[in-house]
Amino acid sequence: MTTINLDSLVKRFADGTTAVDDVTLDIDDGEFMILVGPSGCGKSTLLRMIAGLEDITSGDLRIEGEVVNDKAPRERNLAMVFQNYALYPHLSVFENIAFPLRLQKRFKDEEIRAKVNDAAQTLELTELLERKPSQLSGGQRQRVAMGRAIVREAKAFLFDEPLSNLDAKLRGQMRAEIARLQRRMGITTVYVTHDQVEAMTLGDRVAVLRKGVLQQVATPRELYQQPVNMFVAGFIGSPPMNFVPATIEGEMAELPFASVPLPAELAQGARDRNLLLAGIRPEAFEDAALVDDRDRGSGVTFHATVDVTEWLGNEQFAYVPFDASSEVRQHLRDLARELDSEAMRTQLVVSLDSATEIKEGQDAELWLDPSRMMLFDPATGENLTLARTPVAA
Amino acid sequence: MRRGVNVRWPIGGVLVVVYALFPVVWILSLSFKAGDDINNKKFLPTKWTFDNYRTVFDTDLFTAALRNSLGISLIATFLSVAIATLAAYAIARLQFRGKKLILSIALAIAMFPTVALVGPLFDMWRSIGLYDTWIGLIIPYMSFTLPLSIWVLSAFFRQIPWEMEQAAQIDGATPWQAFRKVIVPLAAPGVFTAAILTFFFAWNDFVFGISLTSTNRARPVPAALAFFTGESQFQQPTAAIAAAAVVVTVPVVVLVLLFQKKIVAGLTAGAVKG
Repeated sequence: MTTINLDSLVKRFADGTTAVDDVTLDIDDGEFMILVGPSGCGKSTLLRMIAGLEDITSGDLRIEGEVVNDKAPRERNLAMVFQNYALYPHLSVFENIAFPLRLQKRFKDEEIRAKVNDAAQTLELTELLERKPSQLSGGQRQRVAMGRAIVREAKAFLFDEPLSNLDAKLRGQMRAEIARLQRRMGITTVYVTHDQVEAMTLGDRVAVLRKGVLQQVATPRELYQQPVNMFVAGFIGSPPMNFVPATIEGEMAELPFASVPLPAELAQGARDRNLLLAGIRPEAFEDAALVDDRDRGSGVTFHATVDVTEWLGNEQFAYVPFDASSEVRQHLRDLARELDSEAMRTQLVVSLDSATEIKEGQDAELWLDPSRMMLFDPATGENLTLARTPVAA
Repeated sequence: MRRGVNVRWPIGGVLVVVYALFPVVWILSLSFKAGDDINNKKFLPTKWTFDNYRTVFDTDLFTAALRNSLGISLIATFLSVAIATLAAYAIARLQFRGKKLILSIALAIAMFPTVALVGPLFDMWRSIGLYDTWIGLIIPYMSFTLPLSIWVLSAFFRQIPWEMEQAAQIDGATPWQAFRKVIVPLAAPGVFTAAILTFFFAWNDFVFGISLTSTNRARPVPAALAFFTGESQFQQPTAAIAAAAVVVTVPVVVLVLLFQKKIVAGLTAGAVKG
């Protein structure tokens, strides 16, 4: 039973920068918690505070209900997998995995051998036990690092971007492997990543951080469907959510390419604002020719010129440029900078069925499902549609 | 052009080797010459003999000096490397005030001319009773080799990623265990380099050896060679000195040949990230 409770944790460095700002987070026993955010958001620092590698400036960290702020890493009994694996280059794979056991001095040699062999079997490392880390491939090193973590029955696992040094294919395999291992062992896990795909696929819950401040902690589904603000909305999802300016005209939101009806309860609140940003995920669009007649009426159909298309087999992305005022451009640029991406031009990314016949440079008829549109306050980034959007179970 | 280079390189190499090794071979040849054969005006001895070696090992002066040299050099090496390892680790890993100062002072000591220190040391050692003792030599050897060892080792420690210690600490190691079981083994080539360089310095030293000793109690070999006499007062001890020189040179040459790869690796470490 390992719960980890973060209570108003703050990390301030000597130069005055605040890396982690008042983070409160409760991690349940057996839960797979993801810390995610763009680079420099403080997620790794937070993990290292849990591990005991960084001092805690203020706030309390509890493991199993006990405050461990001042405990050395070894007294916290947590296992950690580092980004560069941190294998001991002078020791064989066997000795690398056995290292934490040997330090405990309460195991006999046979016990250690049995435990290491067990872990090696789980991770399919048995043939590699006599090798040195330098003779292993990236994926194998990754597995050795995990072996070192699982062999000692630690209270919890900590992962610090464990897959970021692997190529895309291997990353997918290891992701599944980590998920399987964690589910089987049922051990509390904190996993840091900047990759939102890893965050969505692995996590029971995901904590999104921005400049050291916790934005939202929720299940992946909730995060996707009910982001609390533009930052979370823009960070989660690939390709990312489209943000377009929306002017409120009575019951309608005027987008650069279409007028979309506003739900009544929102129209009330939005009336006194003249400019909002509408967030629409690429999959809320469709090629109008492919939309059922039944659905067609519930959505909005509009014409737009498609600039570039990308056909991926299972779907097709189309890019639709639109004009925006300099104020909107500035908002989008700021957001993009925070998300580690670059706002080159204002454009919609639209995900279409792969059967679509829409070609580059054509004037296309597109369909939009307005119930999947979110509205954000450009000044605060707050999601104004939060209460409305239902969570599909 | 290519061919020219190919021919010139080996020729140049041979020239350099001959130039460098000629004195060594000359000493070797001398050491095998018996009696007045050293004046035979030939490079090789007319009759090969081991007499000189026998003489050398029969002389108390030499055997005592050999014992002194070995003991003093080994102890100085051990202490110097042990202290340098700890100091270098602190310099590489800890943030503390005056770190730059320590490093610059260490460098200054290394550049200080030894001769300038001999006089004061002689006086001091005389008054505090360290004159003509092993410790009296070990202390200056340590102080002159520590800076180099610290520089070599801290370059090594700096190369080892922080994650190594952190991983060890997470795995349950105390800081001392992390240092001993992970960091020191990883820095072994550096420790080795420092040890060999220190040993050479102590083993080859002449200035301190001759100035701070007066008897067989602590006199090391290089100093003892100067006190060699022939079998009789009228005989030049040249051949015996040559034999003694060969005996003290051999361990050094063997060490270098055995560990040359490690020394080169150690000295160039930190220059390029490998």
